Amino acid sequence: MLVLKNKVTSSLLKSEKKSLSRFLVLYTAMVILMIMLLSVFYYQSQEKLMLAQERAILSKYAYIQTKRLKVLHHFFDEKTTYPRDPRFRSAIYDNEFAKIFSLIEEKNIYFDREIYIAGNMIHFIETLDNYYLGARYLVIEVDNDTGWKTELWKRIFGYGSVIFIFFMLFGFYLAKLFLKPMRDSIVLLDRFIKDTTHELNAPLAAILANIEMMDMDVMAEKNKKRLARINIAAKTVSTLYQDLTYLTLEHERRNEDELVEIKPLLEDRIEYFNVWIQSKKLECLMDMEDVALVIDKRKVTRVIDNLISNAIKYNQRGGTIGIELREGMLVVWDTGIGIEKEKIPFMFDRYMRFDESEGGFGIGLSIVKKILDEYHISIEVESEIKKGTRIIIKW
Amino acid sequence: MVKKFLLPIIVVMSWVIAEDAYERHCVPCHAPLPTSLQRMFMNYLLVYGGEHNFKAALKHYLRYPSKDISVMPDLFIDNFGIKEKSTLSDKELDEAIDIYWNKFKVFNKLK
Repeated sequence: MLVLKNKVTSSLLKSEKKSLSRFLVLYTAMVILMIMLLSVFYYQSQEKLMLAQERAILSKYAYIQTKRLKVLHHFFDEKTTYPRDPRFRSAIYDNEFAKIFSLIEEKNIYFDREIYIAGNMIHFIETLDNYYLGARYLVIEVDNDTGWKTELWKRIFGYGSVIFIFFMLFGFYLAKLFLKPMRDSIVLLDRFIKDTTHELNAPLAAILANIEMMDMDVMAEKNKKRLARINIAAKTVSTLYQDLTYLTLEHERRNEDELVEIKPLLEDRIEYFNVWIQSKKLECLMDMEDVALVIDKRKVTRVIDNLISNAIKYNQRGGTIGIELREGMLVVWDTGIGIEKEKIPFMFDRYMRFDESEGGFGIGLSIVKKILDEYHISIEVESEIKKGTRIIIKW
Repeated sequence: MVKKFLLPIIVVMSWVIAEDAYERHCVPCHAPLPTSLQRMFMNYLLVYGGEHNFKAALKHYLRYPSKDISVMPDLFIDNFGIKEKSTLSDKELDEAIDIYWNKFKVFNKLK
């Protein structure tokens, strides 16, 4: 019981971790997005503040340059040297945005803005009331001192990191708070399934053992058939029990890999399902070589049981089951209902069932895929509707 | 005898061929005025700015001269009056204005 309890806890932690990590990924993304947005707003406001301070200086430069242009305009027939100033560079454009003269380095000018940053420069656009030399726009350009930017980035990263750490701690606390009811319900559900499954084992084992012990020779033909049906039903429940046990308990068990002879195992499992095979009047064709594989015997048994039980379950009455075993390859085929090609990629999904007429939870093939993936073994499915299915396993 | 007539004919012909619409229709009338055509150009430029505006405004003034829309100071107008309406065809007027613009425009003159 203690062992069971430990497994419950570890199973819970695993699912809890998954939910927690999903939540944290989403939460982290949102926090990062929020911090980035705040940073952008802060950056923009600081940039505006810097430009407002620069505007006063550049406006003064524009005023000085306008006066110089005025003088040049009135004495243009005598003097054609454009006024220069070591503190700034300038350019003049007419009202059709044609360049009259320019000393500035940045070529792209945005006339619709008053002041803006262009690369490493700051541009200030002054619209002239009098068109001296035909100029309507006077552009003043100064180098952008990037010191404020470095200081700003430092502040953004500093405050950003503090906010990020705070929100992550808060998120972790929040996640634990939210996960608590889920954790409680998962514990309850998991314990219920495990206890129920556990309780199934004893009666099922008793039914199967007693069927084996029954003396068939003294039995009437009618009763023999009934007993065979009971046997099939009990084995179907047994396979389901094994699958449920695997899902809830076995997959957390450490692998006990050993050299497994596949051929005798297959013969044993065919023998196990023989009554079911007989009841459906199926022909079983076996073409097997001696092949050994290092694998956990319980897991390979789950794979074989699921493949054979599917081949029987979805076969037509009087059909054929084939098993081919070669070095590095196992093929299980049947002459059953088949499956549509577009549905093949989804047949290994958990709880996925394509034929509701047959019983089951749709967990068999998902277990097969899980086990084979664990051992890096490939599985291929070839199927044709109403002709049959071939499942090829290669290692 | 041939030499005596040939020289003046060649001089007159070359003057006629070389003269453009601006030289023919603008310069002669402005020559006696105290303000140069370049000064007037700069006055227009100060008010109208770009090439398109400049040419349109000048053409309009030449077609419909008026004291109200003149770019010249009042003192100048009081002394020399308003010019008469231009009788030039659109083609000739445009040609003269284009030459005037190209002759005095600021583009490529600043250094």
